[in-house]
Amino acid sequence: MIKKILGRFLKYGTLISTYCLIACVLLQIFARFFLPNTPPWTEEASRLFFIYAIAFSAGLALKDGAYVHLDVFYEKLNPKIQRAVLTAVRLLTLILFALMAYYALIFTKNGIIETSPSIPMSMAVSFFSMFILAASVSYYAYLELKKTLK
Amino acid sequence: MIGLIIFIFLVGLVLRFPIAFSLGLACLVYVLTEGIPLVVVPMKMYSGIDVFVLLSIPGFILAGNLMNQGGLTAKIISFCNHLLGHIRGGLSLANIGASMLFAGISGTAVSDTASIGSVMIPAMKKEGYDDGFSCAVTAASSTVGPIIPPSVPMIIAATLSGLSVGKLFLAGAVPGFLLGIGLSAVAYFISIKRNYPKHERSTFPQILKSFVETFWSLLMTFIILYGIIGGIFTPTEASIIAVIYAFIIGQFVYKKLSFKKIQVVILDSMKTSASLMVLVGFANLFGWILITERLPQLVSSEILGFTTNKYLVLLLINLLLIFVGTFMETIAALLILFPILLKVAVTVGVDPIHFSVIAVLNLIIGLTTPPVGVCLFVASSIGKTSIAKVSKASLPFLAVSLIVLALVTLIPQISLFLPSVFGE
Repeated sequence: MIKKILGRFLKYGTLISTYCLIACVLLQIFARFFLPNTPPWTEEASRLFFIYAIAFSAGLALKDGAYVHLDVFYEKLNPKIQRAVLTAVRLLTLILFALMAYYALIFTKNGIIETSPSIPMSMAVSFFSMFILAASVSYYAYLELKKTLK
Repeated sequence: MIGLIIFIFLVGLVLRFPIAFSLGLACLVYVLTEGIPLVVVPMKMYSGIDVFVLLSIPGFILAGNLMNQGGLTAKIISFCNHLLGHIRGGLSLANIGASMLFAGISGTAVSDTASIGSVMIPAMKKEGYDDGFSCAVTAASSTVGPIIPPSVPMIIAATLSGLSVGKLFLAGAVPGFLLGIGLSAVAYFISIKRNYPKHERSTFPQILKSFVETFWSLLMTFIILYGIIGGIFTPTEASIIAVIYAFIIGQFVYKKLSFKKIQVVILDSMKTSASLMVLVGFANLFGWILITERLPQLVSSEILGFTTNKYLVLLLINLLLIFVGTFMETIAALLILFPILLKVAVTVGVDPIHFSVIAVLNLIIGLTTPPVGVCLFVASSIGKTSIAKVSKASLPFLAVSLIVLALVTLIPQISLFLPSVFGE
């Protein structure tokens, strides 16, 4: 159930952020050619949607094996050692991103008092993307670890 | 301390840790052992990704994937086959030609090997080309992709150095074409020697028809380059214009894009981009650690202490980058090594644009360097041929790639001519 809801949340988060990113950049181009002034917030908004699109899709990328790795040496190991290595890799991935998720919340908290340069918005909104990124990767790393241990 | 984090990173790589995570883990160990607040990890990840020009990477990836949904690969191959098929070994030449045209759309070597290889390798084998040769020519030709614009490694190099993306795109064009021509010459001579087949010459209407079918997708490369170099768009804007253009062509000309398909393409493109951006984010943290540990200065003084001869320094850098490029993914290697080596190269009087082309060329040649070049593996798995056979067959192509690298290294004008004419 959680898996399904989270999967949908990340999928639609990625799609909406990407559409918004495209819209912001198009508005920037349109304004430059056809309006007297380019709105000052378009570049920052584009960056915000870009970071969110990346944050939403980072976990899905792990689920679909999109992260590049080196197979050459691993393939030469015997299956028992391969399984042990895979377990260690998934466990370490989980630790790395779980720690990052926790500290991303502190990073977000630190951003509450900062204001974005061109959008009247707290920087905590932008910084929260790092929590989504780290938490979603942790979750899929946990699922993979569970699969390996079965 | 720096030795330990490099050791952890390398062990992670060997144990099939994703490169990005391996880098992250090495950084985490450093941060923990040095007592640095852990909040630096998400902070540096954020600041590494929060760069406007990086927005162009998902844009170009998405535009390329949207174009591919219209059966672009088959159309480009068909066009090259009509154009070059009547020459001895025509399919191998069409393979290289298709990679050169495809380069303007995709921008990554591994995706070129996979998409062109899945069509060309079976077709070549069916017509009697050796298995090893079919795979080797596909792997070698795909290295043209990341150097001919638009090029993802060039965007990364521009982000790391502050150089203009447009100038770097221009700088890669001539070396990319030289590489393509060199590879074609090797394929032609091998084809003559082995008496590989040739097709009947296509008629002019046949060539014209296949050109028209390919024209719309090739126009995208022109729009991107003209937009950036002409100062009409920034690279990020050009990438989004390319997305809209690819959508219009896919929807109204090729008529192959449905709403559901677009969603799948966006998700796939963003997953690829996310895997790159997590790498960029951790590399930003890694770079910060290297600077804290004064490694760039150390490497610089070590190399310059050994020699200050510009060509000897470039030779050393070339050897290092080819070696690293053989084992490591292009973007990862670029993120880690480029800022350090750029400093050394600039100190001995190498132009930064020239050096960026040298670095990217080195790393992509590494992708086809036996025994572990990634493109060789992809091609051998598509061709169901042993890696040993593909490695052996790839040696002549590797030799010509190294000759092109030597020319690009020794003659800066090959890279700098176009930026000096059009880049101002």
